[in-house]
Amino acid sequence: MSSHRLPQPHGILIDRSKSITLRFEGRDYPAFQGDTITSALLASGQRVISRSFKYHRPRGTLSMMAQEANSLVQFPGEPSVRADTAAVPAGIDVRAQNYLGSLGRDWLSVIEWLSPFLPVGFYYKAFYKPKGVWKYWERLIRALAGLGRIDEHAHHGYADKAYLFADVAVIGGGAAGMQAALDAAAAGAEVILIDDQPRLGGALNYARFDVEGRRGARLAEELRGRIGAAGNIQVLTDATCTGWFADNWLPVTQGQRLYKLRAKSVVIAAGALEQPTVFRNNDLPGIMYGSAAQRLIRLYGVKPGHRAVVATANDAGYAVALDLIEAGVTVAGVVDLRAEPSASPFASAVAARGIAVHQRHAVCEGIPGPGKRSLFGVEIDAITGRGVTAGRPHRIECDLLCTSVGYTPAGHLVCHSGGQLVYDSDLSMLVIDRLPGSTAIAAGAVNAAFELDAALAEGTYAGWRAAQLAGLGVGAEPPRPAARAGAAGQNHPWPIFPHPKGRDFIDFDEDLQVKDILNALADGYDDLDLVKRYSTVVMGPSQGRHSALNNMRLATVGAGRELQGATVTTQRPPFQPELLEVLGGRGFQPTRLTAMHHRHLELGAQMMPAGVWLRPAYYGAESRRAENIAAEVRAVRENVGLIDVSTLGKLEIRGPDAAEFLNRMYTFAYAKQPVGRSRYVLMTDGTGAIADDGVACRMNEQHFYVTATTSGVDAVYRAMMRWNAEWRLNVDIANVTAAFQAVNLAGPKSREVLAKLVSDIDLGSEAFPYMGVREGHAAGVPARLMRVGFVGELGYEIHVPASQGEHLWDALMREGAAHGIRAFGVEAQRVLRLEKGHIIIGQDTDGLTFPQEAEMGWAIAASKPFYVGKRAIDVQAARPLTRRLVGFALPAGTTLPEECHLTVRGEEIVGRVTSIAMSASLGKAVGLAYVAPDQAEPGTRFDIKLGNGTIIQGEVVPVPFYDPENKRQEM
Amino acid sequence: MNTPLTPQSLPRRSFLYRKLAALGARFAAGNEAAIAASFGGTDEAAAAHNLGLADLSPLRRVGFKGPGAADWLVAQGLTVPEVNRCAAQADGARLFRLGANDLMITTDLGATATLPDKLSAAWAALENPPQSPRGFPMPRQEGFCWFVLTGRHAAAAMAKVCGVDLRPHRFPVGAIAQTSVARLSAVAARDDINGTLAFQLFADSASAEYWWDCILDAMQEFGGRPVGTEALRAL
Repeated sequence: MSSHRLPQPHGILIDRSKSITLRFEGRDYPAFQGDTITSALLASGQRVISRSFKYHRPRGTLSMMAQEANSLVQFPGEPSVRADTAAVPAGIDVRAQNYLGSLGRDWLSVIEWLSPFLPVGFYYKAFYKPKGVWKYWERLIRALAGLGRIDEHAHHGYADKAYLFADVAVIGGGAAGMQAALDAAAAGAEVILIDDQPRLGGALNYARFDVEGRRGARLAEELRGRIGAAGNIQVLTDATCTGWFADNWLPVTQGQRLYKLRAKSVVIAAGALEQPTVFRNNDLPGIMYGSAAQRLIRLYGVKPGHRAVVATANDAGYAVALDLIEAGVTVAGVVDLRAEPSASPFASAVAARGIAVHQRHAVCEGIPGPGKRSLFGVEIDAITGRGVTAGRPHRIECDLLCTSVGYTPAGHLVCHSGGQLVYDSDLSMLVIDRLPGSTAIAAGAVNAAFELDAALAEGTYAGWRAAQLAGLGVGAEPPRPAARAGAAGQNHPWPIFPHPKGRDFIDFDEDLQVKDILNALADGYDDLDLVKRYSTVVMGPSQGRHSALNNMRLATVGAGRELQGATVTTQRPPFQPELLEVLGGRGFQPTRLTAMHHRHLELGAQMMPAGVWLRPAYYGAESRRAENIAAEVRAVRENVGLIDVSTLGKLEIRGPDAAEFLNRMYTFAYAKQPVGRSRYVLMTDGTGAIADDGVACRMNEQHFYVTATTSGVDAVYRAMMRWNAEWRLNVDIANVTAAFQAVNLAGPKSREVLAKLVSDIDLGSEAFPYMGVREGHAAGVPARLMRVGFVGELGYEIHVPASQGEHLWDALMREGAAHGIRAFGVEAQRVLRLEKGHIIIGQDTDGLTFPQEAEMGWAIAASKPFYVGKRAIDVQAARPLTRRLVGFALPAGTTLPEECHLTVRGEEIVGRVTSIAMSASLGKAVGLAYVAPDQAEPGTRFDIKLGNGTIIQGEVVPVPFYDPENKRQEM
Repeated sequence: MNTPLTPQSLPRRSFLYRKLAALGARFAAGNEAAIAASFGGTDEAAAAHNLGLADLSPLRRVGFKGPGAADWLVAQGLTVPEVNRCAAQADGARLFRLGANDLMITTDLGATATLPDKLSAAWAALENPPQSPRGFPMPRQEGFCWFVLTGRHAAAAMAKVCGVDLRPHRFPVGAIAQTSVARLSAVAARDDINGTLAFQLFADSASAEYWWDCILDAMQEFGGRPVGTEALRAL
């Protein structure tokens, strides 16, 4: 056991039977399971944990609760880990942060010597002249500043999320929180009790509540036992509630998990945070809160020093002195800032042990050891006024200074959701002025109840009230405890002793001294919020947890304002730093696969996203992309090809008003559409812009089976549901996209292939003509068959139940083998349809394209009294067109434009290329483009501007480019 | 359902048969498809008591939706509960009422209940288009995949993928939540199996592989694993 490790019963959180090793800065340190990085280092006498942000001063823990940036360390893939609370990690070398050279000898500490030239706000003034110089400074400053290093290649660890449900959430597992949980549970509430420590108890686990030092542990044990037996209290330890949002939405992080908790009522019992004393060199390693020393002793069995001075302004400091003595630390003196001696039993007990008490004195300077890496002693002096000492200091040698001068409520969460803290001058303390919402209640030290019995009474009341607020039947109201019991005398009104030589730190995170705050005021930033932004005080990682109170005192009084009623600057979530990894959690990104998906993979398909689906772009090696696509095109044109079109949206429109419904939703006319035939559907929105397209198959008088685009179907379905909520037509609208899988069997030999698999449908060209729809069986599977022409060849779309889609695919590929069947993908289909001049919604149209511009006037039944968009289209149609979509060709050998390259006339942009492909079938490049209306006549040449600025000329040609008489698809 | 077979030997296939096979499923025939009957290993029934996920996608189910659907089912002698409740039928089939006129009827775990087939046949035997409102068949067999999550940790596992409070004392037997599960629109219904907590889960069949992975992932910390229908029947 090291000389700093204390025997049991000290160290309730460590398991001495499990020795582990901490590797820090390349050295191994012995540790026990349960140690944090800081406790393990201090157990070996290593006090310096990191270097400060600006002046690179050596720093050790102040709070033992990571309430300041002193103890942020670097893990290989994670910067700014809180060493005070982070468990000793296995197998990695923990590094300190903010140094160049070594932690012991940091070359950048030279910056401290330059500090007279670097006053607060200097960077607002210094680095902008001459113009343009900032970019050079920025590089240097960014290299010097910062908190650790981000590993841009860090492995994404596993993190997840879970929902939690409770009537009552209790935040804080100290005496008040545990009692509140018990009383809420006794009233029948389901309670979740959240605490950021490994063991419930809060201050009961480490602080001294009686001279004998037994009551805290005994009470904690009793309360834990009752909670364990309660049955309806769920305890989350090592868990932090990082925010409080509207309607009691509480994010709680625990390890790699983010819990999402919504409670009916919330008890905040988060306790209070001890606050620092301000004097010269108050940041030296070895200077810490009294509570930090108590945590080290009781929780981790670590002796925080050998010879200590306690500076206090309350009775808790005397309890600390007793704890130190019990831990074998020599207490060289108690420096009591108060004017009058304390009458508390703790003070008597300290006096009885012969400890010198320096009443009405303050520490005015810390004396550093070599390299400022340790504390050599303190200078103490008599207090003669607010923040003023007599100027006759005397030195006490010590390696540990424990300060206990007051608290601030851990009330950040209160402020996240509309609550407020205000300064109470009588108590010299921030207190809760307003709680968020109407279902919150505060208890314990966060509510300024500092006496243990008062905290328990507040817990009881809060538990009862929270159960009542959660809507449970509760018993008689318990006695309402007196407010703020024991709060008077906890906080010194002005524990700030500026020193002419500075280094009297207000904010350890940002290395801000008293003079920095005063300079900000002198520069005219005399509001607390302005001081904050100008000086960056309270803006560091600890978000003011150790600095807001003293800064508020200094800046408010310095600006000549009253402290009474003053409010702190806005506090926002998160309460503690949180990993983006944990916020992200396990990603849920639904991916839809067609029934044939794995067949595509087996065929070597290159898959591409299509909305949330995956579709084959083409089959075969990426290195032979063009050849593969060309071969697929050729197969369709010459033999037969098979494409998976399962991703098409599919809707069943059924009921007596089905035809009328389609008439209103789509631009074409459907009332007289024969049963057994399909018809093109074009949907426009209220502005007349093209929204979607597909085909409607009339299965019977009252039943249309309608397809929609892959990515458009959800919006189409929503639009249909919304419109019919208004129209109240007698139809049922069902989105059956996933229920049917579909293929398009296309090519001159498609009928021969299909004939081998279909026996109950006459496939003859007259019996089953182009645009015909039939129901029967294909490969023994119930199927809907449609004659379609999207790719411009004889073709059949075959729709079958999803569970049998793969079977259909297999059968078609098997029977087609003798005919040279080839699977083709989206890329080949794009070429094939372009050769036919068919548009793709969203590619050849945009959010403003109305049908006449896209040459889709043929799909509008102008005589219909109504369809969605009709009024806007009629208005548009009465005006001259501003652009037209035309087919164009490029001479062989021309550099091909890319889709979205502009069509121009001189300096004027007239449109863009929407589709382009080299057509092997046609022996030239063809495309679609928007041009000016007067350029739309076939034979007109127009300019296309390539990405490199070159202008090429396209020639307008009629569409379809291929088989203009449509003989091939209608054969 | 005792004959081992391969899923690809039958036209109808589970939406995720490859995943089931990769997990070591032994398949048996059910509803003209291969259904994962067992995944082997020791005491699969105990796993189902603890936390098990089974794929029932091949089992028979049918939906009826649209004006008149509920009344027609009542006329067929079915017990039709209120919306967002499920009810057992005389032959063991389950009726899930998803909306006033949106209903789904599934067979039982043993696939002995023939109500879905009878209803399909009864509907098809009537005149079409219908002369009086009786709803329209919905292809729930094809549009939904069907999983069942069983065991004492089922609610805790669901809390990792679903924001609805499904804990047994808050979500009674017969209750239905139509909600998002792992970011997928889903139906989750409490339908305990001989006293073992169980949720019947339905969602987009095209997302079945994704969904299965998400739920299995959520089950890991509780020692959950896939189970077959034999284990369910042993509950």
